[in-house]
Amino acid sequence: MATAATAPAYTSSESHGATGLMSWLTTVDHKRIGILYLHTSLFFFVVGGLEAIIMRYQLMRPNMQAVSAETFNQLFTMHGTTMVFLVIMPLSAAFFNFLIPLQIGARDVAFPRLNAFSYWVYLLGGVFITLPILFGLAPDGGWFAYAPLTTRTYSPTQNMNFWVLGVQILGVSSLAAAFNFATTIINMRAPGMNLMRMPMFTWMSFVVQWLIILAFPVITVALFFLQFDRFFGTNFYTVTAGADPLLWQHLFWIFGHPEVYILILPAFGLVSEVLPTNSKKPLFGYPVMAYSGILIGFLGFGVWAHHMFAVGMGPMADTVFGVTTMLIAIPTGVKIFNWIFTMWGGSLRFNTAMKYAIALIGMFTIGGISGITHASPPSDLQQTDTYYIVAHFHYVLFGGAIMGIFSGIYHYFPKMYGRKMDEGLGNLHFWLNFIALNLTFFPMHFSGMLGMPRRIYTYDAGQGWETFNLISSIGAFLMAPAMLVFLYNFFKSKKHGEVAGDNPWDAPTLEWSIPSPPPEYNFAQIPMVTSRYPMWDITHPERTAEIPHSTKGWDEARHRSDEHILPGGGHMADMAPAHIETAAKTASELDIPMPTPTIKPLLVALGMLVMVASLLPFFAGKTSAFVVLLAIGAGTMIYSLYDWLTTPLEEAH
Amino acid sequence: MTRFFRPRQLVPVLSVATLPLLFAACSGNYPNSTFQHTTEFNRDLTSLWNQMMWWGLAVFVIVETLLVYVIVRFRRRPDSPEPRHVHGNALMEISWTVAPALILAIIAVPTVRSIWKYQTPAPNGSLQIEVIGHQWWWEFKYPEHGITTANEIYLPVGRTVNFTLRSADVIHSFWIPGLGGKRDAVSNQVNHLWYTPDSVGVTGWIGSCNEYCGASHANMRFRVFTVAPADFDSWANHQKAKAVYPPPAPDTVAVRQVAAAPAPAPAAIAEGYVFPAAQRPAHVVPATPIPAGNTFTEGLTGDPQRGLAIYSRSACIGCHKIDGNPMSIGIIGPNLTHIASRATIAGGLFPNDTRHMQLWIKNARKMKPGVTMNSLGKGEFDPILKMTVTVGGLTDQEIADIAAYLQMLK
Repeated sequence: MATAATAPAYTSSESHGATGLMSWLTTVDHKRIGILYLHTSLFFFVVGGLEAIIMRYQLMRPNMQAVSAETFNQLFTMHGTTMVFLVIMPLSAAFFNFLIPLQIGARDVAFPRLNAFSYWVYLLGGVFITLPILFGLAPDGGWFAYAPLTTRTYSPTQNMNFWVLGVQILGVSSLAAAFNFATTIINMRAPGMNLMRMPMFTWMSFVVQWLIILAFPVITVALFFLQFDRFFGTNFYTVTAGADPLLWQHLFWIFGHPEVYILILPAFGLVSEVLPTNSKKPLFGYPVMAYSGILIGFLGFGVWAHHMFAVGMGPMADTVFGVTTMLIAIPTGVKIFNWIFTMWGGSLRFNTAMKYAIALIGMFTIGGISGITHASPPSDLQQTDTYYIVAHFHYVLFGGAIMGIFSGIYHYFPKMYGRKMDEGLGNLHFWLNFIALNLTFFPMHFSGMLGMPRRIYTYDAGQGWETFNLISSIGAFLMAPAMLVFLYNFFKSKKHGEVAGDNPWDAPTLEWSIPSPPPEYNFAQIPMVTSRYPMWDITHPERTAEIPHSTKGWDEARHRSDEHILPGGGHMADMAPAHIETAAKTASELDIPMPTPTIKPLLVALGMLVMVASLLPFFAGKTSAFVVLLAIGAGTMIYSLYDWLTTPLEEAH
Repeated sequence: MTRFFRPRQLVPVLSVATLPLLFAACSGNYPNSTFQHTTEFNRDLTSLWNQMMWWGLAVFVIVETLLVYVIVRFRRRPDSPEPRHVHGNALMEISWTVAPALILAIIAVPTVRSIWKYQTPAPNGSLQIEVIGHQWWWEFKYPEHGITTANEIYLPVGRTVNFTLRSADVIHSFWIPGLGGKRDAVSNQVNHLWYTPDSVGVTGWIGSCNEYCGASHANMRFRVFTVAPADFDSWANHQKAKAVYPPPAPDTVAVRQVAAAPAPAPAAIAEGYVFPAAQRPAHVVPATPIPAGNTFTEGLTGDPQRGLAIYSRSACIGCHKIDGNPMSIGIIGPNLTHIASRATIAGGLFPNDTRHMQLWIKNARKMKPGVTMNSLGKGEFDPILKMTVTVGGLTDQEIADIAAYLQMLK
């Protein structure tokens, strides 16, 4: 807290030269793309939340008729799809974008234009999949879209097409981003930052990129099968042609279970940054935290069939998947205890970020314990597809991922905008959210074990579920004011928050060594790192005294820079031992080459969307509209892509 | 920094607030509770659950206690000293890796034992019931007795029942929470589920579809009646007989097996055991309100004889089967041979009474979202075909007649 807080000399948009709409449409700056991700996913968070509130209103009492069955089915399909693909993943992506280069001491991501492309594909795909709900055409097959229900025979309308095509589009975004960040982390770390010195958020993000790279191709294949079935009459999932409907389930969950870790690990990473900072202590058991993250990711690929214990896979498969699922509890439990002992003996500062981080530990533990009860296949037969499962995964995803992400937002807001969020409002937001979370989801454990199936738009009176549903609904309604408080705080603090300074939380990692908000080039001089906590090495050397220090990697970096350029894009002269940067010069004053803003990634994304959307008229038998849209879309995409690939990244200056 | 309220003061309030919830869950009337000791399957599952819950509770208490202790004990105060900068402890980390592994090993043993116990073939002599999931109703067959019925099962107390599960269309999931775990009815696959209702009373249960299967997934329920073996035999013997309407002339009664049929015509129909309406627990009696916009002319009296004639020349016979009515041979919809003996109609959505039957026949699609059965009433709007029924539509009087006929099929 020692840093004297002064108004930032510039804002990040000014530092980029241009402001206004065009500057955002053409940006290739990872920080601005991160901010775009953040705003877009917060918007979808509101949409997904409203969908949930309508559902909870319908289920507040038995036999309600607030919405029709068809509408309710669209609502729960879209709530799940939105929260998974349009909220939690991109909220994590907001942090990948904003933080990874800053944490590893790089000036940008490996492929800045691909990064912009990922965002635009996400935005357009999100709009494509969300908009139909306004016309009653939203997907209605559930977020895991089980075939054969989702084949053309049983879903003959356009609704599921938006899901099949939309999720495919979103997959392109995730894969492009994952390759980008994996490359960035592998190649662009600052000198001396070997893998075991990476900040834990970057570590968890690294694991997540591999999960995306390995899991998304599986859903891509599954979706292509379904797409071909629906549009071109193939028979991958056609039961009357002899298809095994479990094919979809296996493919979906081979993707779907790693997806769960794709959602939770970034939040684990954020919390692993927040806890040490606010405890004045290094992370307890850093190597074990990293290994357990890898182990969770690895085991995450071997447990998918625990979503299918009721489908009749036979005793051997049930045994194997039951046991592997239980194994995952071990590395997860290790993380929980390591977090607690990071705080143990510390000096805890309870700002909002810290409260959310601690809430993650407490709430995720509940989700973990309930998870064990359905890791046991026979026990799961009384739980799967009931509200007990709904309770479980909301404790994991709301109590885990969302709590961690809110923690990250409060923690990193000052780095993004140079100002702090209001702590009083943050406190209110936290407690409203915490109470609402438990009020909504804890009773669902009861309604589930008392026999209430999930995904039902109504239930009969006298089944013993009335009280629990009423409480759940009241809790869900309470989330609306919580979110309003947050949004008010967020937008107010951007303009009027307390000026934060470079390192308001006295945090240990590189992103806090540069001004807030950071200049477009991030680091005027690429920092050379000697330990896991370069900032504490400078500000509180006593805190890192017991941690190994070395200049390993420096010589190699110097050697490489003689031949080529540094990872991070600078030259030899740009390197300096880890230091605090205050200078506010522009990139051109410092002679740092920056990628040129370009609209091309947006055009490619737009072309791709139009091309994919042309299948909608094709489905309806409107061939001429299909051909026209296909030609426009493919033409735009191919032309813009060619233009993109033949234009150099940086303009000479 | 503004403080809106002191959160620590809330902790006791919240703890007290959750207590009634816990008590509420442990007492009260929960007819669909999964913790009922009704079958060997449910007893094993409950015991498995209890073991896991005790371990889980222990872990919960340890973690949350540590967390709360840390929060209270290590809160930063103005005079807080700089903490010791421990960055790990191999022994501690090994211990909290090994301890959960041991707990999981302990849980794994009964888990694996139960998996193999209940996935072996059902014991010999089990009552076989074939379950076929349809969008959105359940078809049940008792091959031993040659019975085909819908949305309602009778089980003899004490005899193992082996459900053979199939699907006619998409994936469904067959679940009677009060009797045991669920199993999916998967297209192109045959699954099994067996258990023995050996500790149940003579009572009723609700089953449901548990795998999302489309528009009326929520409306795919069924009733289960656990009855005394003798009553089950009586029920089964009656169900397997053909529908007897119109009542046979006295000289053809010879083959009817049930004794003591009194003389007046409708009552001459042989009646087997039916679970007495008065004894049905409240939760198995549907309370679904009639959706808005469904009306029926008041005061019409149906004539079953006329109803039989109308039924036998209407669209009904294309989808429904009535053993004993040679015209009625459809197999798409539920078998109606003994429809009047059932407690509910429409996938367990409505009670089986005159008014609901009339409204159902008139416009099923307005009564239950998405159903296959067309709207049949003259002038009714069919919400799926998006057109008004004109030619071939049934008048309210005709519908009342059909309903009267169906109510004769005890």
